[in-house]
Amino acid sequence: MKYRIQHVTEYQYADRVSHCYNLAHMVPRNTLRQRCLSTQISVSPEPAHEHRREDYFGNQAYHFEVQRPHQKLSICSSAQVETSAQPFADNLDFGWSCSEVRRKLEQSRDHECLLAREFLLDSPMVKTVAELKKYAEPSFADDKPLLVCVRDLTKRIFNDFSYCPEATTIATPLEEVLKNKKGVCQDFAHLQIACLRALGFPAKYISGYIETLPPPGQEKLVGSDASHAWLSVYSPGEGWVEFDPTNDSLAGEQHIITAWGRDYFDVTPLRGVIYGGGDNPALSVSVDVARL
Amino acid sequence: MISAKPTDTAPLEVMNYVASRPGACDEVFDEAGNVKAHWAQLLSSLKGMGFDAFADRQKKALRILRDDGATYNIYDQGDAGSRTWGLDLVPALISSEEWASTEAGLLERAELFNLLLKDIYGERKLLRSGVLPPEVLFAHRGFLRACQGLDLPGEHNLVLHAVDMMRDSSGQLRVLTDRSQCPSGLGYALENRTVMSRVLPSLFRNSRVHRLAPFFQRLRVKLNSLSPSDDQARVVVLTPGAHNETYFEHAYLANYLGLDLVQSGDLVVRNGFVWMKSLAGLSRVDVILRRVDDWYCDPVELRSDSQLGVANLLEVVRAGRVAIANPLGSGILESPVLLKFLPAIAKALLGRDLRLGSVQNYWYADAEDRAYIDAHLDELVIKPVFRRPGERSVCARELSEQQRLALKQRLAAAPLDYVAQPLIEAAPMPSFDGRALQPRPVIVRSFAVACDNSYALMPGALTRVGVDESSFHISNQAGSLSKDTWVIASEPQLNLRDDEQPEPQANQSELNSLPSRVVENLFWMGRYAERAEASLRILRTVFVLLNGEEDLPDTVRRILLGAVTKISSTQPGFLEASDEELADPEARLLGVITDANLVGSVRSNLNAMLFCSDESKELLSSDTLRVINDIRDALGELDASFKPGLNSAPEEALDPLVTALMALSGLVQESMVRNIGWHFLQLGRRLERGMQTATIISEFLSPELAPAEQNILIEAMLLSMETLISYRRRYRARLAVQSSLDLVLLDTSNPRSLLFQIEAIDEHLKRLPTNQEPRHELQPEQRAILEAQSSLKLSVLTELSQRDGGERKKLSDKLAQVGELLALISTQISDKHFDHRESSRQLVRSNWEF
Repeated sequence: MKYRIQHVTEYQYADRVSHCYNLAHMVPRNTLRQRCLSTQISVSPEPAHEHRREDYFGNQAYHFEVQRPHQKLSICSSAQVETSAQPFADNLDFGWSCSEVRRKLEQSRDHECLLAREFLLDSPMVKTVAELKKYAEPSFADDKPLLVCVRDLTKRIFNDFSYCPEATTIATPLEEVLKNKKGVCQDFAHLQIACLRALGFPAKYISGYIETLPPPGQEKLVGSDASHAWLSVYSPGEGWVEFDPTNDSLAGEQHIITAWGRDYFDVTPLRGVIYGGGDNPALSVSVDVARL
Repeated sequence: MISAKPTDTAPLEVMNYVASRPGACDEVFDEAGNVKAHWAQLLSSLKGMGFDAFADRQKKALRILRDDGATYNIYDQGDAGSRTWGLDLVPALISSEEWASTEAGLLERAELFNLLLKDIYGERKLLRSGVLPPEVLFAHRGFLRACQGLDLPGEHNLVLHAVDMMRDSSGQLRVLTDRSQCPSGLGYALENRTVMSRVLPSLFRNSRVHRLAPFFQRLRVKLNSLSPSDDQARVVVLTPGAHNETYFEHAYLANYLGLDLVQSGDLVVRNGFVWMKSLAGLSRVDVILRRVDDWYCDPVELRSDSQLGVANLLEVVRAGRVAIANPLGSGILESPVLLKFLPAIAKALLGRDLRLGSVQNYWYADAEDRAYIDAHLDELVIKPVFRRPGERSVCARELSEQQRLALKQRLAAAPLDYVAQPLIEAAPMPSFDGRALQPRPVIVRSFAVACDNSYALMPGALTRVGVDESSFHISNQAGSLSKDTWVIASEPQLNLRDDEQPEPQANQSELNSLPSRVVENLFWMGRYAERAEASLRILRTVFVLLNGEEDLPDTVRRILLGAVTKISSTQPGFLEASDEELADPEARLLGVITDANLVGSVRSNLNAMLFCSDESKELLSSDTLRVINDIRDALGELDASFKPGLNSAPEEALDPLVTALMALSGLVQESMVRNIGWHFLQLGRRLERGMQTATIISEFLSPELAPAEQNILIEAMLLSMETLISYRRRYRARLAVQSSLDLVLLDTSNPRSLLFQIEAIDEHLKRLPTNQEPRHELQPEQRAILEAQSSLKLSVLTELSQRDGGERKKLSDKLAQVGELLALISTQISDKHFDHRESSRQLVRSNWEF
């Protein structure tokens, strides 16, 4: 499927910002199932210095430095990408069993296996705790194929948790999400990642977009699409497989990848330091995902 | 700190060193119990010198260290935590032959760590080929993913490499730790050497000691060679600031190498380059020798809450427009887990075994190691894999049952985060503990610097001595002494001095290119010193009058005490005090002197002044630093003097401080180079004195008073301004308002008169960089000084001394006007020349540790 994506982020500050330094992860990357046909990112006011590079995880990192005073900062990222579905249908009853996967991870000298172990460890925003392990365990059995178990966990998270943007912020700890059973896609992705790592399976965080379709008969509204987050789990043999606990599905054609990392911290869409600006800047984000 | 107290023991025996445990390995004795050749001369010299002479030299060394400001700050102890660097005058000796073999091992190790660093941030072949378990890198917080692919010009990414070693009981040298991100100790080693060659010159000369200077020259050359620009490189030392435990060394090294000492706020990234904010504007920085830990260096990509770094620094590094030594990310090399795998790493990267072995390391994440650690806990030292502030190694056998349990829980909860090393029984070496030569374990820190296509080792080291006989208790935080380390040459050394500077450099840190922060600190140092002095003077005067033979009239008492409040700016203070408080002002007066939390008190002003002097230390002469130490001492004694309350002559307790402050201003006048820094310091001083003088005159001469009361206040004013004697000589005792005004307001031969300050300020303003351009319109500060000058010079004293109703309104108006003009000048200077950092904030608030 071919898409055109337009992602506009605007910060409106209470006071003047004299200058700022930022790092954006807003330009989509290439992956096995996604090819970028064109990408473009622009900032207003015009940056004094900018630089795009591939980061440690192979994502597109965009650095910019604005040196003129401003009260509004806007970043517009647009891209045309071609995606395909993952090579699995929703029937995942194949591949290595959970215990086999653990054994391979521990013993295999295969590069991919060794490097996947990076995603087994705690990361800045995902710390495994006993409660999460306990929550995840019913989905897993040593002799069952790993992917079937992960699929089951994905479904349980979808069923047990309700989508509620007011319930959490980016700083809400996972224990609290687990207790309140509420959150947004980031929380669900982090939660499932923590569950998987606690059980000894490598998992990484994916940020991107998802195409939303209007209810039948209605026209699609501009800006109504959303940034999205899901996760990917590693099974030696099958490689990395993406799951979306927010939508109870495998990630498909409609999941467009921007960047991946250990968790949100590695792929924060925009981070940086500003000078001035006052309190509580107003942030507005609009995303359009259009089929071509 | 060493205190040399004579004891009853006979001096000769005291200076006689005997092995602690005959037969055990010792640095001094061979297996047969004979003194090793290179120690023989030293031991006999010490014996010959005797206790008294040696203890005397030890005192002299302490004095020099203190005067040089050589300190080591102990965490969590605030100001009291600043300790004079401890130097044990008995040097650590290493023979040439022994050094040659150690040197080869250390150079090889530096090469290996360089290759390791390149692999970690490059291809990670060690990981892909299974030599290193992935968790060694991925679980370590020092592995900075943002540093992937960073490279320095030249063959080496690792510029400085330091190693802590110990000789175990088998006589084998063993490496305990590698220090790779900003190894400390270089400056202390140099200071130790300088002091040794001064207090034991003949012993030093006769011992044929290898010089240290060439090593520092190499470091300087290496740093210059990293510069991406073809012009003269600007190399800076980035320090976390005056409160860092090794700040002395940062300033000392910067001075010795001729580099600018900068802090986070002195640097800024603009248009893809790093710049230093200086009086002349922004100057480009090419190379940074950093003393800030890597994860603090860039709040955009690394720790976002860091106040010690420079926003966007990593991007400039990536573009190759600034070089940082050691490179960001090199902290990973300090992981002790790497030592466990070092033999295999050496095989993989060098193709051979290492000559110099490390101490055995057990990793709690490894099943076999874990079993060993659990079974042998009492023989082991447990170390955190990643050093966090406050987290130290622990010696399991020293723990209580409860602490052991807690340790075991910590290990089980985070097995990746801990290693264990066997507790080494170190071969002892003689150390002078103030009473006698005692056998003490030592740790030696060696330093290697990259040069051309290899490494060069410092022919010497920083040796630290155990505080007792256990080799576990050796660290500066624990109060260990240090030793100069002498590599004894078999051939006589060329007679070059170690404190010689490396080749002269173009005057990089000259004049206008001083960081504006340093200049700002000098300005405030001047203001605080003067403010404290003015308070001290008025307090002395008030004490003398309060304790005088005659009772003071209430009006006079109110004015005097009010003046104390105004001069010290501790309002409301006595201004709103009740009659009872005025009758018994002791508590409040004490507060104005000693209360550190009262802004404006003598103590708080002097603390602020000392802080400013620390921040601009590199511009102050050693004599000046000595006087500053005196001020620190006198300040320390204040509490003791005033603890029992105000005694019969409290003014005397203030004398040492006044004298020390006078000495400071004298030294600044006599021994500081007239550079831009000096002008700022003097401006601060003169502006403050001008404002204080205007206040005093107005307070004492303008209110409505009876003639007798007026006379008391004229006398008080003249006394506090140190001009009573000149007045008496000139006017023969008769006190009068008009003649005293002539002396304190207009007499430019009186260095305390108001006009004298104004004219001095005018002179200094003319020397400031921005005022040298040909421009015909006056700047606001120039207008202000001209106005103040004219207003004073046009004074008609008969008018000013005339009462208008009850008060002398014309006088107080004029003084208020001059005071406001001076305040305006101060604001102008600050706006134009000092950096006003806006506070920065994170776009995304985060408090995640990574």
